[in-house]
Amino acid sequence: MTQLVWNGLFVGSFYALVALGYSMVYGIIKLLNFAHGDLYMLGAFSGFAVLSALGGVATAMTLPVLLAVLLMTMVSTGLAGVVLERVAYRPLRGAPRLSLLITAVGASFAIEYGMRIVAGPDPQVYPVRLSGTAIEVFGAWFTLQQLVLIGVAVVLMVGLNLLVTRTREGRAMRAIALDPRTSSLMGIDVNAVISRTFFIGSALAGAAGVMAGAYYGKIDFLMGFLIGLKAFTAAVIGGIGNISGTMLGGLVLGLLESFGTYWLGGEWRDVFAFGVLILFLTVRPTGLLGERVTERV
Amino acid sequence: MRKTHILSLAATAMMLAGCGQGLLGNGGGAQDEAKGPIRLGMLVPQSGSEAAIGPYMTNAAQLAIDEINAKGGVLGRQLQLKAADDACDAQTAVAAANKVVTEGVEVSIGGYCSGATLPTLPVFGKANIPMIIPAANSQELVDQKLKHVFLINGTGTQQAEAASKWIAKQGATRVALMHDNTSYSKDIAVRTQPMLGDKAVITEAVTPKESDYSANIHNVLQKKPDFVYWTGYFQEGGLIIRQLRQAGFKGSIMVGDGSVSAKLGEIAGPEVDGVFATMTPIPDTLPDAKGWIDSYTKKFGSAPGPYSNQAYDAVRLAAEAITKAGSTDGAKVISALEGINGFAMFSGPLKFTPEHTLSAGGFQILVWKDGKFALQDALS
Repeated sequence: MTQLVWNGLFVGSFYALVALGYSMVYGIIKLLNFAHGDLYMLGAFSGFAVLSALGGVATAMTLPVLLAVLLMTMVSTGLAGVVLERVAYRPLRGAPRLSLLITAVGASFAIEYGMRIVAGPDPQVYPVRLSGTAIEVFGAWFTLQQLVLIGVAVVLMVGLNLLVTRTREGRAMRAIALDPRTSSLMGIDVNAVISRTFFIGSALAGAAGVMAGAYYGKIDFLMGFLIGLKAFTAAVIGGIGNISGTMLGGLVLGLLESFGTYWLGGEWRDVFAFGVLILFLTVRPTGLLGERVTERV
Repeated sequence: MRKTHILSLAATAMMLAGCGQGLLGNGGGAQDEAKGPIRLGMLVPQSGSEAAIGPYMTNAAQLAIDEINAKGGVLGRQLQLKAADDACDAQTAVAAANKVVTEGVEVSIGGYCSGATLPTLPVFGKANIPMIIPAANSQELVDQKLKHVFLINGTGTQQAEAASKWIAKQGATRVALMHDNTSYSKDIAVRTQPMLGDKAVITEAVTPKESDYSANIHNVLQKKPDFVYWTGYFQEGGLIIRQLRQAGFKGSIMVGDGSVSAKLGEIAGPEVDGVFATMTPIPDTLPDAKGWIDSYTKKFGSAPGPYSNQAYDAVRLAAEAITKAGSTDGAKVISALEGINGFAMFSGPLKFTPEHTLSAGGFQILVWKDGKFALQDALS
């Protein structure tokens, strides 16, 4: 039982990190950024490129090097997110919602197959791995490295929450989420804030990508597809647009998968997890913590 | 224009062959058929999850073709390889099959992923093109008893037999079977299970292409197995081996032939040491393949890998059958293939069963040692 909860929380924290970017972008410009999972993949690959370039240095001091790589990757993936928004989404800001959705799917394919051209179709293996011996606590097996990863995820999420609730930048984001036009009349540079939102959301996805690469070891150009869908599910379960709801949604989805596998068997896990998604959409479309949004006139 | 030309020629040739077989004899009609190269079609994954395998197979096929061409080709014609990417995906595979058929291939020598090869059977069947399938080995491929389908890799049943034999030899009492729900992988798992009887404690399906299998592994470890047999491909296999060990599993792990790849060790890390595999002979375990490995390495700058030898043999077998048939006509090549007895291949002398499978699977047990798979037990 402890093991099930632990497994669920560990996977769930990855989902939560990726889901946050989804949720923030949706909260602010009502765009379902289907290319978001591919930013996670970009993060994994840019971390891979840096680590490979470092070569021997990296193996000597695993953790500090990985943390440095994590920061570098967050910056580069964040910038990629900004470019994505500038190129693919900003020109369509006034267009119907459907055009944006289709562009997002197109952007997703462009990133995936662009990476395939750059890095090749073969899976790559991280040169530095977080491999530790498992220890048993309360009947659950886990490694110290898993604790560190969860720690990093929690720090990132708490930091994001502080940023959104306590700073001027966060206030500007929330203002735009409520009403972009009035915000711009009040002197907020809407485009700049949206750019920064993409930067933060993409950086979080990139961080999750590096962490997954360093922990699981295997990366490939399609790795973002499935987790993108899962993150979307997590965001919907928690309440899309709501930061703490999204984090909760990620953890809940992780637990659902873990227990679904246990109760029904491996082949039923996705049926169970996505069945719950359908249930949520019909019974409580705003998610666990989402509030009913009043229609804007 | 050129295509219609060839088509009409082929049609004329078929009519001639149909009406006047006795009069024209075997050699004459076929010699006049066409002077262009004999095209061999090969669908293998060159992208997607199994992309690592593609080059091993196409390179080996090219090696065989170059060797045969250097000796003057087949029926006085040169051989030519037409490789296409099936991405280990059913839809891509059907499109690729249609592509090579319109390119005018005479024999198909490809097929790695069973799930992707299965839907291409009718495409080649309709075009009357014999298929020598080097690697894909799900029982479903031959269950339909199609005349044009020949497997030169052991089948799922034969692999399951080898697996259960080895499991019994190891004295394992609680065996967990894990598969990825694809046609090939599930086939081996569900055939192994009854052979083990009540020693099989759980059959667990995982979702391919994910990173975290901890939930599945938890299910497996709940049953306290002392032996885990993974029947899927190497990407998930590597992750599962690593995660099993990290979850504290101390028993033996064995993988199916789809996981036999150098990448398995890279992905699994040091945890891969001592992992067993059920596999047909690979270049490293073949006693008399030294010269062959050298010429392959010299030509392509890298060593041959899994299914290189089967792909090489598929070309040689196709050439042999066409020579015996004296023509590239589908029906004649098929009966030539059925008549082959004792053709020397890496896996031993070849003779097809009435189901068009190998009369002996030739599965061996490999073990991962010193950075690669080595022979553990030939099971003979």
